[in-house]
Amino acid sequence: MIKKIKASKSEKIIFIFLISLAIFSLGSFFLIKNKCLFVKNYDPQKISFDDPKNIAILNVECGNVIIELYPDISPKAVTRFKTLVSSRAYDDIAFHRVIKDSLVQAGDLEFGKKGNLDYGKIGTGKSGLGTINSEIDAPFNFVRGSVGLARTQKLNTEDSQFFIILKDEPLYETEFTPIGKVIYGIDALEKIKYLNKSQYVLRPDFIISLRMLVN
Amino acid sequence: MKLIKLILSSLLIFSQTQANTIYDLIKIPNLEIYNLETKNKLRYLYAKQPFTIGVDNNINCFKSLKKDLDEKYLIIEKNLNRYSQNFLKKINLKYIVLCEDLSISGINTAGIPDNIMKTLILDIKFNQKYFERVIHHEVFHIIHDSYKDIFDEKVWSKFNIEAFKYAECSTCTKKVGLDTNLNPNGFITEYSQSTASEDMAEVFSHLMYGGFPENVDPILEKKINFIKSNLLKIDKNFLL
Repeated sequence: MIKKIKASKSEKIIFIFLISLAIFSLGSFFLIKNKCLFVKNYDPQKISFDDPKNIAILNVECGNVIIELYPDISPKAVTRFKTLVSSRAYDDIAFHRVIKDSLVQAGDLEFGKKGNLDYGKIGTGKSGLGTINSEIDAPFNFVRGSVGLARTQKLNTEDSQFFIILKDEPLYETEFTPIGKVIYGIDALEKIKYLNKSQYVLRPDFIISLRMLVN
Repeated sequence: MKLIKLILSSLLIFSQTQANTIYDLIKIPNLEIYNLETKNKLRYLYAKQPFTIGVDNNINCFKSLKKDLDEKYLIIEKNLNRYSQNFLKKINLKYIVLCEDLSISGINTAGIPDNIMKTLILDIKFNQKYFERVIHHEVFHIIHDSYKDIFDEKVWSKFNIEAFKYAECSTCTKKVGLDTNLNPNGFITEYSQSTASEDMAEVFSHLMYGGFPENVDPILEKKINFIKSNLLKIDKNFLL
């Protein structure tokens, strides 16, 4: 005859702890897998803008990033950016340089295209439109969300690459050409893939599309 | 012990790539912002840790005590505020790095100018007696590097008597005295006799800081006029 043994209080606590741990582990697994879970996706059609013709919609894996462009501050740079957006040149272009909580950079049209990535040269590609002069004289507060054109160590080498900063960078003023600022959806950029040991990303995330709100 | 090493190395391996904006901009590590809110938009940085840069890592500088920095910053800013934002832009100077015990290839120096990186590294403890004048001396090297054609060393050298020859380099001579010559005879300090560039910088620093003797000889007079007129070529509003 099998004798029934009653579980002690401590055995019950351990059992409950193990069950909780299993539930927590499974839950975490599904939550962690979805990196966009807590990122709000903004619908630009539901937002009213003061200057809709200077609104660009950057669509990435975790949603829309809505950028207001500042042609009054950097007319040539904004014109270049709009030209490339209008030709859909930024679609499927990699975020090749990403520094966690600091900066995302994309726009290498030559070596950063999905399916045609060149890891040896990414970051050095050109648009084919030539370089433009830096526009760095106007005062501009490079706060979190600011968008600027990237360049080489030399001024007047801006082309198609752009960066968005995820923290304030006061030293960028008079160093980089500002083109605008993220007004909605910056959280989606914090989910862009980065590497721990390098600013340049292997198997990077890509821009899904980049469009002007008003064509 | 092995476990500690393992933990430490794994911490290094898994540490995040940190954005270092200052390094990205001027290629000097271990710097922090001291002050950006300046009237001529100069950006003052300081060494939070010692740093080593240059070819073969031959340039070294060390961090300073905060009280020393605070004290010297006021003097440096007062002197550099004499240069307008417009002039600084023309000569390509934007960043001032404050540190101490600055040396290049083991030789102590007051400053290291780099007009390409728009940076002037200043040793805040170099030569207390002539500290303020030396600031302007170093600024001149930025000016000179940006306008070699205007401040032509060959033209300058012809102001001297024919028999005089400058040394091959500023550290190739023992003529390093910074005391002002009361009877200049063409050279405002002993250090002026080292190279044409140092001679120009000494004349410029005396123009900025003052201290020329009442009567200067014809050679020095020509040198002063050369510096003055060429500064106005760079910026017609430049004030001495």
